[in-house]
Amino acid sequence: MHRIGVFVCWCGSNIGGVVDVPRVVREVAKLPGVVYSTDYKYMCSEPGQGMIIRAIREHRLDRVVVASCSPRLHEDTFRKAVLLGGLNPYLLEMANIREHCSWVHQNDPEKASEKAVAIIRRAVAKAARLEPLVQKRIPVTRRVLVVGGGIAGIQAALDIAEAGYDVVLAEKQPTIGGKMVLLDKTFPTLDCSACISTPKMVSVARHPNVLLLTCAEVEEIRGFVGNFNVTVRLKAISVDYDKCTGCGTCWEKCPTKVPNEFDLGMSYRKAIYLPFAQAMPNKPVIDREHCRFFTQGKCRVCEKVCPAQAINYADQDKFVTLQVGAVLLATGYELFDWASVYGEYGYGRYPDVITGLHFERMVNAGGPTGGKIVRPSDGTEPKTVVFVQCVGSRDEAKGKEYCSRVCCMYTAKQAHQVLEKIPGAEVYVFYIDVRCAGKGYEEFYLRALHEGAQYIRGRVSKIYPEEKKLIVKGADTLLGRPVEVAADLVVLATAMIPSQDAAKVARVAGISADRDGFFLEAHPKLRPVETNTAGIFLAGTCQGPKDIPDTVAHAGAAAAKICTLLARPEMTIEPVAAEVNQKLCTGCLLCRDVCPYRAVEAKEIEEKKNGVLQRRVVAEVNSGLCQGCGACAAGCRSGAIDLKGFTNEQLAAEVAALCGW
Amino acid sequence: MSEMQAVTGVVNLSAGDPALAGEIRELGGAELLECIQCAKCAAACPMVLAGFSFFNKKVIHAILLGLREELLDDSSIWACQSCNRCTEVCPREVNPFEVVQAMRRVAIREFALPTLSVEGLKSLYDTGHAVYLAGAGNTRAKVGLPEKPPSTVASKKALQELQTIIRNSALADLGIIPMGETGVSETCEV
Repeated sequence: MHRIGVFVCWCGSNIGGVVDVPRVVREVAKLPGVVYSTDYKYMCSEPGQGMIIRAIREHRLDRVVVASCSPRLHEDTFRKAVLLGGLNPYLLEMANIREHCSWVHQNDPEKASEKAVAIIRRAVAKAARLEPLVQKRIPVTRRVLVVGGGIAGIQAALDIAEAGYDVVLAEKQPTIGGKMVLLDKTFPTLDCSACISTPKMVSVARHPNVLLLTCAEVEEIRGFVGNFNVTVRLKAISVDYDKCTGCGTCWEKCPTKVPNEFDLGMSYRKAIYLPFAQAMPNKPVIDREHCRFFTQGKCRVCEKVCPAQAINYADQDKFVTLQVGAVLLATGYELFDWASVYGEYGYGRYPDVITGLHFERMVNAGGPTGGKIVRPSDGTEPKTVVFVQCVGSRDEAKGKEYCSRVCCMYTAKQAHQVLEKIPGAEVYVFYIDVRCAGKGYEEFYLRALHEGAQYIRGRVSKIYPEEKKLIVKGADTLLGRPVEVAADLVVLATAMIPSQDAAKVARVAGISADRDGFFLEAHPKLRPVETNTAGIFLAGTCQGPKDIPDTVAHAGAAAAKICTLLARPEMTIEPVAAEVNQKLCTGCLLCRDVCPYRAVEAKEIEEKKNGVLQRRVVAEVNSGLCQGCGACAAGCRSGAIDLKGFTNEQLAAEVAALCGW
Repeated sequence: MSEMQAVTGVVNLSAGDPALAGEIRELGGAELLECIQCAKCAAACPMVLAGFSFFNKKVIHAILLGLREELLDDSSIWACQSCNRCTEVCPREVNPFEVVQAMRRVAIREFALPTLSVEGLKSLYDTGHAVYLAGAGNTRAKVGLPEKPPSTVASKKALQELQTIIRNSALADLGIIPMGETGVSETCEV
């Protein structure tokens, strides 16, 4: 018989205010195998942990049950205490009597106390069947793949490279810089976005520890934390960067004009082009979809004029494989396609209804209008500008339920810029709430108010053209009246959504996304940069809408976590992993199909049957990849798979104990 | 425009008067732009309880939108009891009471003031009291007080000083009330 100790926590009044803790302690003392039971106000505190350590020694305990909060919060804390008491840390079982009991049964203390006893009875039954487990050590490849070269990817790549590790920065566009480099001034300090991001682009591209890959897409990620094998597709750019000097003769002479996606189609580029003047690398690529040579078979002007003979029409997509220890996803965001759903705003048919990003390009000195705010329809300066917030955000019918977090602030900033650049301009901002939670943000909003921006609390119900104006109809809920404005220009603050490729990236990386497609972090508060797949990290807006300061902070945090992982040549991994009993395994490989982490592989074994050597296929679990979810164990038809720490025997005993069998 | 018409219909913001806010700021509502429409003033205002359509924070909002005609067509601003509670509670130090006063000044310049106010101004000029109970003399005598209170009513010198002040105010230019060199006894039944 085991010697089990039960430690019941009050968690202040969280548990003790509902559950009759002394009664629970008396009742669980009678359970089979329990030789000691006690309670304490805060079991996780230093004196509480001390009680556990002393009791293990004094009462010769060999299994420990702590009845307190969720194991997600303090299992690790108590495992360390059990270890200090001299036991294997996996001889601890947690009974969650807070989240699963006192918090949800506040109005029924009597039954809550009964339930607490039942939960502990379950834990005691499992504790009696716990086996010591040992953490494994695996080697770590000290190199990181960063996917996405926006400000998040750049910042994280720089931080990791500065710490002395190698970084591969893969960007699918021909240049790094992401969305930030497209912006004009940034709230609330109004510093120029390009001025603070282009030096970082240069730093990361020139960093000796960084390998920059542009026009690169991650095709496959195999392996596990510390030991990933990544395949990256390098798209054919038709220019040999070793020879090209970026002199610009080719794009000057190229005869084909294409709408420039970096100016959201508001300007033109050539078929061989540099996305923008500060692009990094500062060398052109050929857009084969539009290039006259690739579409019509003749032209070759760029080849003829290139003084460095850098043009290579025969260039092909290449695949490179890389070994990395960790992968950081920083795939960013894009804007919600308002034009496909907002009929009341004209389905994108009115040229003078634009998005905030169009406005950024326009007000940017490097943009298509050289910094002038104009009406796209006739190029005249608008006198009345209406901003509409929450287009696609906070709109479950047409868009997303969530708040995109940045629009209130950039709208205030754009309102300020209109009032600054156009003397006598009138600015109206239609809003639902003004959300300015950030350092210096509320002050910035007040500044826009002070400068004369008219904030109208209400959503816009209709925009329609009338002569040269756009009539914007809404309601002023503070006035209690419907209102309308004749606007020259309407700017929509459209929602932030995950980038188009996010779903593909999630699939390739084997991570989950939330219902809106943003990558799911391991814990919303305590593990905001990790994913549930060990070794895959997140930075920036791929995890959820963020502004630049939050993105940079998130990226820095991800870099720090990655550096922690790489700091040692080896890493320990949780022993809670699935194990296949090959004798029972029939090789059906259903487990391989259900495994979300691709941790199960087929393996051929040799065995003697009736004295004859035979070969057959069985399943094998890669314990480096296995996250201990148990899907394979549940799916296994022959009962050949057990999850260490959650064996079939342990689970059956728990169920029996709960049901009082 | 009747009261009903004043609170219905679409407000055309483009027809708003952008100069109104500046005018109010010059006439005493200097901190107008500080308002964030939190409505703490409205929660303290007796006008709201009495059901007036343009109370402090709504007056401020309408001024910022330049809704001059809407404000002039409505009598709400004249209902302010000058209790100053709005000014006491305002977290942004907007001083909503002063904004309402400034709006009254704007209204007077446009002769958009209630008849009762003309009476009050006239009484102020003539007696030194906006509201003067002419028949109070007997009551005062009964309790052993002089018939005239010791104010401008009793002091011709004090009243003349007050009238000099009023004749030198903006009120004189508007000509809303006659401003003769008259004393109390000639104009009122004191």
